[in-house]
Amino acid sequence: MNRIRAIAWNTFREAVRNKILYSLLFFAVLIILSAMAIGNLTLHEEVRTIRDVGLFGIDIFSVIIAIFVGVNLLYKELDLKTVYTILPKPLWRWEFVLGKWLGMLLTLAVQMVVMGAVLAAVLASEGAHFDMPTVKAVWLLFVNVMVVTSIAVFFSAFSSPFLSGFFALGFFVVGRSVPDIRAIGEKAGAGAKAVLDLFCNLMPNLHLFYPSGAIVGAEDLSVHRQFVGSDYILSATAYGIGYSIVVLVLAMLIFRKRDFV
Amino acid sequence: MTEVVLRADELAKTFHLGFFRKRVEAVKHASFDVRRGEVFGYLGPNGSGKTTTLKMLMGLVFPTRGRAEVLGKPVPNREAKRRLGYLPESPYFYEYLSPEEFLDLVGALCDVPRAERRLRAARLITRVGLDHARGRPLRKFSKGMLQRIGIAQALMGDPELVVLDEPMTGLDPIGRKEIRDLMLELKREGRTVLYSTHILPDVEMTCDRVAMIFAGRIRNVGPLSELLTARLLSTEVCLRHDVGQIPSLPEGAKIRQTPDGMLADLPEGADVDAFLRAALTSKSSIISVTPRRESLEDLFVREAGKVGEVGSTSTPDKGAA
Repeated sequence: MNRIRAIAWNTFREAVRNKILYSLLFFAVLIILSAMAIGNLTLHEEVRTIRDVGLFGIDIFSVIIAIFVGVNLLYKELDLKTVYTILPKPLWRWEFVLGKWLGMLLTLAVQMVVMGAVLAAVLASEGAHFDMPTVKAVWLLFVNVMVVTSIAVFFSAFSSPFLSGFFALGFFVVGRSVPDIRAIGEKAGAGAKAVLDLFCNLMPNLHLFYPSGAIVGAEDLSVHRQFVGSDYILSATAYGIGYSIVVLVLAMLIFRKRDFV
Repeated sequence: MTEVVLRADELAKTFHLGFFRKRVEAVKHASFDVRRGEVFGYLGPNGSGKTTTLKMLMGLVFPTRGRAEVLGKPVPNREAKRRLGYLPESPYFYEYLSPEEFLDLVGALCDVPRAERRLRAARLITRVGLDHARGRPLRKFSKGMLQRIGIAQALMGDPELVVLDEPMTGLDPIGRKEIRDLMLELKREGRTVLYSTHILPDVEMTCDRVAMIFAGRIRNVGPLSELLTARLLSTEVCLRHDVGQIPSLPEGAKIRQTPDGMLADLPEGADVDAFLRAALTSKSSIISVTPRRESLEDLFVREAGKVGEVGSTSTPDKGAA
């Protein structure tokens, strides 16, 4: 456990000392702050707009950071040859992959806390609270980036950052569109439906982590009104963790067999 | 018999490169062993397979054939890794870390307790002469300083066996002498050192035994005294060119001018006594008489010649400290 913690802490430390991440965080904060200006353009919908734009900023920037850092996570170690120094230490390769992934999650968690704090401050300036539906929404966005990070790490275990980024972004876009793809399948023939169902089952259902505005269990959900309950949060979290574990295990298996020439 | 701490048994590695999966045999049947307490040199020209062999021994590259054992365990083995220190070739480290942070990370990976890590890191930083660079990020280190911190990280786990891949690369003569001294110091402490190099004078000064690899194939393994033939290769006689007459040369001898005078190179079997008598008779002034026996460089070049590596860019570094 100490070895995994050491790798995770080092990954976090690397991210904290990376100036590009601060730039991304700056833009995220800028978007959340801009929600205030956009809210003022609306008629009595300031809080609703701030919450929507703020969550959008947290969502999109956490995914950008997850893909940007995630695809480089293992590749950079190989490219800069730091892996030659680390892997001959009494460390299993899977511990290295797990440590890197946990360090990345810690980085994302801290960044999301910072973005959440800015959103809370903006909401407070309008006399509103960072209420429980918003907390639940941010938590689901965190589970979302956990899955995206796992996918980015998986591709990073065997391909270049460009291709890894391309694939990870593709998975994110397709993952968010899983209900739409299923809907297309419903209207298609039996063969096409079976293929699309299989495809949707293999892809991460990232729409689970963005339920606001969707109808789940015949209920119209919104982060502003009736939002998902704890059962939903638990099952979505379990799905996210399960999917991440499967993808991470695949990344570990690939990494375990690699020659570091 | 001395305990074997590292054994390579018929190790081979074939890579398949490029789109057409071109076969490249980097190492072909490398067999040698390293014994406890010795300094072992792994010699070979650039591109001969030294680094690939060491990477197979460190578990970074999987052998195509053969097997390797480190400290009695088949590679890779975590228990063996705990007792082993490794410095990769041209090492790269986390450049955003200071030496203390980097050694602390390495110590944590080697399961060294936190309090001990701090003490050991401080001791090693002093030992490799980096006290002046404490707190400075590694990105600001020169190549020589990186090599030193690389050696410090290899020693962080207090290893029995230290494996160094080209530790002298990029170092100035003083840096090379310091690394040589450090290796001999490690030997005195009872540690075993295996290092790869193509800088032959360093090998002659430090190694108990060597293995030579050319084009992926091991050619010689053993103590230098056994590998180098004791027979006389030639005798060099240096004469002043402005005094007396140069006597006639025996068959096969060559003569050339040097800054000191005329240098006659008499081949093996030439009557050196007769040549010296003739020189004295003709009033020549003899500056020196040097018997030349086989050096490591001669052996290296001879073996390289057998596999056609002489004249290519893969030649040994003759630079002495």
